[in-house]
Amino acid sequence: MLARVAIVGNSAAALSALERFRQYDRQTPVTVVSAEPGVAYSRVLLPYYLGHKIHLRGLFIRTSSFYKRMGVELISGSSARVEEVDTASRRLKLASGRYVGFDKLLIASGSRPTRPPIPGIEHPAVHELWTLRDAVELEPLLRKGARMLVIGSGFVALQAAWVGYRRGLFVTVVELERRIMPRVLDEPAARLLSEAIGAHSVSVHTGTHTEGLEEDGRGGVHVYTRELGPLAADVVVVATGVRPNDALLAEALEPGLAGIPVDRSMATVVDGVFAAGDVARGPTALGGPLEIHALWPTAVEQGKVAGANLAGARLVYGGSLSMNVTEMFGYTVVSLGRIFETSGERVNVYRELRGVKYLKVIEKDGVPVGAVALGDPETASRLGQLRPLIRQRRGVKELQAILEEGLASRQLSDCLPRPVSGRYQRLKEA
Amino acid sequence: MRIVLADVGLCVACRGCEYACAYEHNGSFERNASLMRVSFYPAARVAVSLTCMHCQEAWCLEVCPAGAISRDSDTGAVKIDASLCAGCKMCVLACPFGNIHFDHERGVAQKCDLCSGDPACVRSCTTGALRFVEPEDVAVTRRETLDARLLRVLATQRTGAAE
Repeated sequence: MLARVAIVGNSAAALSALERFRQYDRQTPVTVVSAEPGVAYSRVLLPYYLGHKIHLRGLFIRTSSFYKRMGVELISGSSARVEEVDTASRRLKLASGRYVGFDKLLIASGSRPTRPPIPGIEHPAVHELWTLRDAVELEPLLRKGARMLVIGSGFVALQAAWVGYRRGLFVTVVELERRIMPRVLDEPAARLLSEAIGAHSVSVHTGTHTEGLEEDGRGGVHVYTRELGPLAADVVVVATGVRPNDALLAEALEPGLAGIPVDRSMATVVDGVFAAGDVARGPTALGGPLEIHALWPTAVEQGKVAGANLAGARLVYGGSLSMNVTEMFGYTVVSLGRIFETSGERVNVYRELRGVKYLKVIEKDGVPVGAVALGDPETASRLGQLRPLIRQRRGVKELQAILEEGLASRQLSDCLPRPVSGRYQRLKEA
Repeated sequence: MRIVLADVGLCVACRGCEYACAYEHNGSFERNASLMRVSFYPAARVAVSLTCMHCQEAWCLEVCPAGAISRDSDTGAVKIDASLCAGCKMCVLACPFGNIHFDHERGVAQKCDLCSGDPACVRSCTTGALRFVEPEDVAVTRRETLDARLLRVLATQRTGAAE
């Protein structure tokens, strides 16, 4: 009997798996099923589309001929929503009633945004910024002079606020916790970013509980908060986090923990079934318990490993290392690995290091485990050089060298032909 | 495919390659605009010129959420299509060598594209430190050089021991 491969999902992890699988195996029939219609698009780019940096067509990262070239049957749209994964009889049941058989399966079904459980949260003025459909719906609502309220202050929330600001909306951000980006930035970085947001006349209210929404009779809403009273808005964007679409493989889940657990080969506990991307809870580059890193780069890496192993290649994943970067309110904001230090760890903080406004590198037993930084775009290029050190667990000497050379070369650059601005000098110069 | 190779022993840190690259790609003579960067360590009397290595498994290419990075079928160069780039900087963070830069004016990432197979940096190099070569040839050269050096060292040691 011919082996068959099915892939649930059509984004970073699924595409990466598919391409890798085909490097090993040109023969085996592959079916890709996705509840979202059409060819693959890039979720990461949605804010750039709303910010008019790219056109709608720029969001699509694969063409229909790509699927043909890959020898794949793509079943996409709401009728392709997977209703059941039957691992015993090796088939998927789709919403359309159709069955898709498989011998090996990859679940790359991603994650979905969560909404705070408050009255009125399902009002039509409330939007998410997660799917292509969300973005297309938001696009005509971002009118100059309109009032935008953003609930949450993570990467997605603040990107929405930044887009709203640039398109001339009056933007307000409310965050439940005491400071913005509570899981993405450390306190000093969050403070700097808050100041920058304030300087762009976007109001940020931290420590603010949203308690409900009500129609204002003119198409907008009043958002009630415990601390501030009602806030008026024409459009509300809620971005308070995501949760994995992991119910498909309930048999593999662990009680009380979200995400399908996978090992270093991206295999689940179910024979021949793999998981990758936002839906997977996998090993990290830093060791410790399995974690969900709902990030594009992690999805690409995990997909690659899963794709190879679907073909029987026995590729082993070094573990995910979270990385995130975006530019907003005049700063490039970068985070890498673990950004909160625990006791006994050494913390190196640099301020005003040429283009880098703030940089913190955490070392554990002489090995860097993470960094967070705010600065110009080249900040990202400097932090990128730390990534191999974290991955390979390279010792204190290298880290010191990178950081010290960075400082030394600032003095050094004073005796060299001067660059027009010092911005582009790298932290590690060799 | 051919790569740009720097002979650290021949580089005099004139930065001609930086200016040539900046002019070729951005029409300017600002070092910032160069995709080739020369790091000069006066105390050690060493200058290291470095640009994209066009990695075989290019993480920037794999991670680009816009599908804007691809490998040129002729030159093997890993290239960014500026018309597809959204400016998200994921590739800038992904590069382990810090070899991808950001063009503020156009808001896109920029990197070495080997100038379609005739790199301006190599053309402009006055000392011959930069060469555009097949890696295989380099490996052979290096092996011969290394062996020759080893033989010299061993010969000296043996002579020393005999005396």
